[in-house]
Amino acid sequence: MKLSMTAFSLFLTLAFSANSQAALSNDEFKIGISQEFENFNPLIATMSATSYMYSLVGRALVTLDADGKWVPQLAKSIPSMENGGAKFATVNGKKTVVATWEIIPAAKWSDGKPVVCEDFKLARTIADSPNVSVGDKETYTQIEKVDWDPKSPQKCTFTYDKARWDFYQLARTYPLPSHLETAVFAQYGAQKEGYEKNTLYAKTPTADGLFNGPYKIAEVKLGSHVTFVPNQYFYGPQPKIKKIIVKLIPNTGTLEANLRSGTIDTVSSLGFSFDQALAFDKKVKSESLPYKVEFKPSLTYEHIDLNMENPTLKDIKVRKALVYSLNREDLVKALFEGRQQVALHHMATIDPWYTADPKVITIYNYNKREASRLLDEAGWKMNDKDNYRYKDGKKLSLQFMTTAGNKTRETVQTYLQGQWKAVGIEVVIKNEPARVFFGETTKKRKYGAMAMYAWVSSPESNPKSTFHTASIPSDKNGYSGQNQMGWSNKTVDKLVESLETEFDAKKRTEIAHQIAKIYTDDVPVIPLYYRSDIAVPPLALKHFRLTGHQYAETNEAELWDLTK
Amino acid sequence: MTTYIIRRLIQTVVVIVLLSYVCFSLMTLMPGDPVELMIQSNPKITSEDVARLRTLYGLDQPSYVRYFNWVKTIAAGDLGYSRTYRIPVSELMGPKLLNTFYLSLASLLLSILISVPLGIYSALHPGSKADNAVNFFAFAGISVPSFWLAIMLILTFSVYYKIFPAGGTFTIGIDENQSWDYFWDRSKYLVLPTVSLSYQSIGRFLRFTRSAMLEAMRNDYIRTAKAKGLSYTRVIWGHGFRNALIPLITILALSFSSLFSGAVITETVFAYQGVGKLVYDSIIGNDFNVAMVSFIISVAMVLLFNLIADILYGVVDPRISYK
Amino acid sequence: MSTNEKTKVITAEQRAEMERFQPMWKIVLTQFFEHRMAVIGLAVISFFIFVALMAPVIASITGLDSERQNALNRYKPVNSYVTVSTDEREAKVTEFIRDHAEEANSLQAELIAKGLVQPPRPEDALFDLVGKDPQETLKILSQVNGEPALHLTKIVNNFESHHWLGTDELGRDVFIRLVYGTRVSMGVGILVALASSLIGLLIGAVAGYYGGFIDTLLMRLTDSLLSLPILPIQIVIAAIDLNKVPGLGFLVGDENQSIYKLVFILVLFSWMTVALLVRGSILSLREREFILAAKTLGANDSTIIFRHMFPNVVAPMLVSVTLGVGESILWEAALSFLGLGIQQPTPSWGNMLFNAQDLMTEAPFLAILPGILIFATTISFNYLGDGLQDAIDPKAIRR
Repeated sequence: MKLSMTAFSLFLTLAFSANSQAALSNDEFKIGISQEFENFNPLIATMSATSYMYSLVGRALVTLDADGKWVPQLAKSIPSMENGGAKFATVNGKKTVVATWEIIPAAKWSDGKPVVCEDFKLARTIADSPNVSVGDKETYTQIEKVDWDPKSPQKCTFTYDKARWDFYQLARTYPLPSHLETAVFAQYGAQKEGYEKNTLYAKTPTADGLFNGPYKIAEVKLGSHVTFVPNQYFYGPQPKIKKIIVKLIPNTGTLEANLRSGTIDTVSSLGFSFDQALAFDKKVKSESLPYKVEFKPSLTYEHIDLNMENPTLKDIKVRKALVYSLNREDLVKALFEGRQQVALHHMATIDPWYTADPKVITIYNYNKREASRLLDEAGWKMNDKDNYRYKDGKKLSLQFMTTAGNKTRETVQTYLQGQWKAVGIEVVIKNEPARVFFGETTKKRKYGAMAMYAWVSSPESNPKSTFHTASIPSDKNGYSGQNQMGWSNKTVDKLVESLETEFDAKKRTEIAHQIAKIYTDDVPVIPLYYRSDIAVPPLALKHFRLTGHQYAETNEAELWDLTK
Repeated sequence: MTTYIIRRLIQTVVVIVLLSYVCFSLMTLMPGDPVELMIQSNPKITSEDVARLRTLYGLDQPSYVRYFNWVKTIAAGDLGYSRTYRIPVSELMGPKLLNTFYLSLASLLLSILISVPLGIYSALHPGSKADNAVNFFAFAGISVPSFWLAIMLILTFSVYYKIFPAGGTFTIGIDENQSWDYFWDRSKYLVLPTVSLSYQSIGRFLRFTRSAMLEAMRNDYIRTAKAKGLSYTRVIWGHGFRNALIPLITILALSFSSLFSGAVITETVFAYQGVGKLVYDSIIGNDFNVAMVSFIISVAMVLLFNLIADILYGVVDPRISYK
Repeated sequence: MSTNEKTKVITAEQRAEMERFQPMWKIVLTQFFEHRMAVIGLAVISFFIFVALMAPVIASITGLDSERQNALNRYKPVNSYVTVSTDEREAKVTEFIRDHAEEANSLQAELIAKGLVQPPRPEDALFDLVGKDPQETLKILSQVNGEPALHLTKIVNNFESHHWLGTDELGRDVFIRLVYGTRVSMGVGILVALASSLIGLLIGAVAGYYGGFIDTLLMRLTDSLLSLPILPIQIVIAAIDLNKVPGLGFLVGDENQSIYKLVFILVLFSWMTVALLVRGSILSLREREFILAAKTLGANDSTIIFRHMFPNVVAPMLVSVTLGVGESILWEAALSFLGLGIQQPTPSWGNMLFNAQDLMTEAPFLAILPGILIFATTISFNYLGDGLQDAIDPKAIRR
């Protein structure tokens, strides 16, 4: 019996021998992701998996590199007041900035046509159209105008909506090939979902001319995989890897099995859950597998929004008690083995504005007794029968929501629930799928009390869209804006407004610290931790750098090299 | 016979329409709509814009009007547009339907091939050791959680033994012309999902075949046939099995229903690109058009197979006549 | 029914034994006990029900809590001893201070006087002390003399918990979670099976007894529900926003919302088999003499249905309920696997499995155990149902 089993499995192994891991080479590289992607129109795409892959095929004027610095890509250089590329101007009685962006002559679309100013103007026009749903609309529309001299179509003048110091960062917007997409937009732009349905990125994603990055798309199977091949018209060095396949493996539980069986060669930053990465890291070390599990602190800020309309949470003592009763050090140590950092406020550790100075901000060290004291003061008294707190016969019970299916978040959520239970706060968990949670619940402040999710920001970013009173989503503004706590503080409003147009770097830091002080004093949000990006590149892969921000590691994919 | 089929067809269509309306109404109870997704991405939107967009999408109308409009566009051949993938639904569905069909068919064939002979064998030897073993095998089949089985299969055959791929539909980059290599490749990816999907139906079919056959063999005509001196094989196949076949066909046809819905879990675990996973993703992601279309397709398939089962009834059972 | 039966010679006693009158229930019982696997199934189920009922008792005997976390000791293997969490140690100290205020005070004063701890505030001294590693705490305590120190030493010595089946992703005890999971999963299974058979009984009885239009309507409904692909519809219903359903808004925010929703969804799609079964039996009963007699004597509809018909359908229903429990447990697991079932921190076999699937290769035990329990329970219910079926089926009487 045993012999026949062995023979049987031997037979099977021979019959299906395709699974032995082939040696890695530059001929083909298979990346595993666990998140869904959509079509590749850079304006319409909203999913992180799509932007991860878009960096393989499309580039903008500037980008944030792995060191957290803004560097030019399609632009010759970044204009500034100092180098004369940008200057103040008054347009229609409004003080603003005008900057000159010069596109490098080598920048070409994948059909050999040059990238021109008109491409940026088209992107801006489409983003502004009310019929098209554009993910990052604000960034595009903060550029008010794109002009150029017909004689030099690659030298563009950008006029911004106001004199913002970070104007050059807005050049992260992507151009669209105007020689292809102008006609599409003209024909379908007025219909509902007309442009989305008919954009060439959806209809013929493999056509030449849609991309200007190191790669172009050879094949797209939605829900399955995308194949990339080098774009011969890429402005930079030709990519070393001749074929990249990004494969979607939606069940993270089987990601590792797929990696070890050679179905994929690497797990991207959109793959493993944190627990899996920790476990796999140990296995890589104990079995000396040819992989490296990389952790990179990122700008992703995990936090809990407190619903400021909740009558219980209106009391600042309750809000402070909520923070005091959390042992975040233990959380990070226990659940993340110290590979992610405790958050103190909205700015991440790799942000130049970051501060942990107790003189500058208010720091809440874990203290259950302090939390109990605050709750007692607020009138919430412990009931010895069920060990929950009551006030006027009402139980201290708070609803806690987050995205369903995110393993790490759900574990953290349960951990926090236990922590709060210890001080007599009942926490009721209700989770929803991400699209519902972000599409409806957080925006309309339908979460009873607490909502846990993350913000991804760039370094030195202005928190106006999340802190300003005008950014509170309401019926009046059609539920736009991202102040989902409903936090309204006049001083903060003024500070974020002044931060926008402050050209002195030192003063900007000061303002940012002032905002952080009020933020930590007032506790509209419970900071939890800053996430780390995780990826599992093979040891043989050279020039692979995790970035820790929204411009994924694929932004440098042309440098990746698998030769020994 | 023809009138019967026509009547049943009309009934089926009515049921589909009713169900699609129910489902449509259920979907409107789900949170979020396309305009809200647009608002989310646009901080400068005004309430007038929102009102205009709602009119543009017809969201300001009551659900029955919206249902009627939706039916009109479907009837015109426009299946709509997927909000998640941002491509027309028709492009999305085709290959996925085919993939699910392969999986269901393979699983159904495997179930029948294993369960019918085993069931008959154990019915002919009731109480024997073999019968007990077959019974246990069958009960295990209906009792094992299918996703758990799937995960165990992956652990054993992909991680530990590395015989089959852990997930996927086919090797990416393989030549998709219907060559032998392609067929071989697809089969390799189908093995584990098929096994995990079919084990449950094997359990059910086995139980069913066994009891149907036991029932049939208990009838008087079997005794008569034996008494007439007919050969053992003739008695079993010509008389016993023929009669056991009738209930068997019903359960087979009905099982298409569970093959389509059961595939949700199997397809998710194995990352298999089928309709089941699409249905799940579209419902969870509130991808309205995809959810409705795939839902209707699976309901229609099920109802259609019920009809086929009823017609086959008449073919195998001369006692039934359709008027 | 072997093909070469031989004539058996029986004694007079045996004959008398065989011909003796036996009441029906005795026959059924004898028949049932002949089905060995069904008896084993019954034993397994009884055991699980016992465990489910005794869960709080088991918890208090073992001193375990299904929701108590110990995040610094997660994924511990089977049979491991770990130090309890800081929170719990502090809770023990709070208890100590409350119950023995004087002892605590003197100990606190002594600790600070000897400079053994440096707390920010004097009343934090004891908390500071137990916040350290237990070995260190004991060492410090050994430097203090007197009754209070001995008392606290005793408490600190108990700062260790034993986990038979290891711990899960938050350091919770797997054994007690499985015990409570049994309670939830079995509870949901039995509740769904009972509720759906009640509904099925009512619908089937009404349809079978009255016939005509009501029958046609109800049977169409039953047929269409039976023919539906259940899982996608269940996903739709599970994803519904209860706020948008009039009359159900009160459920929002309830701790057990996910359980109610799950039971509702499962019941909605599991009453049909019972309805068909009951309708069939009632149809045939309707024509029987004793019903006619009751009618002639002037009994009203409800008397006939409840007094005369129901007792006759109880037996087949029992089988269907039994099978239904197993099926409901499987459905609970399936929906929980898709993340639509019972929410944390309430443990159920299904959501324990869901939580474990990410770390299948690292902590396979966490996934294998609930899977085995689901399997064992479901197969037991199936065998039990099979045994009951055989026992009450007059055709199968093997006397």
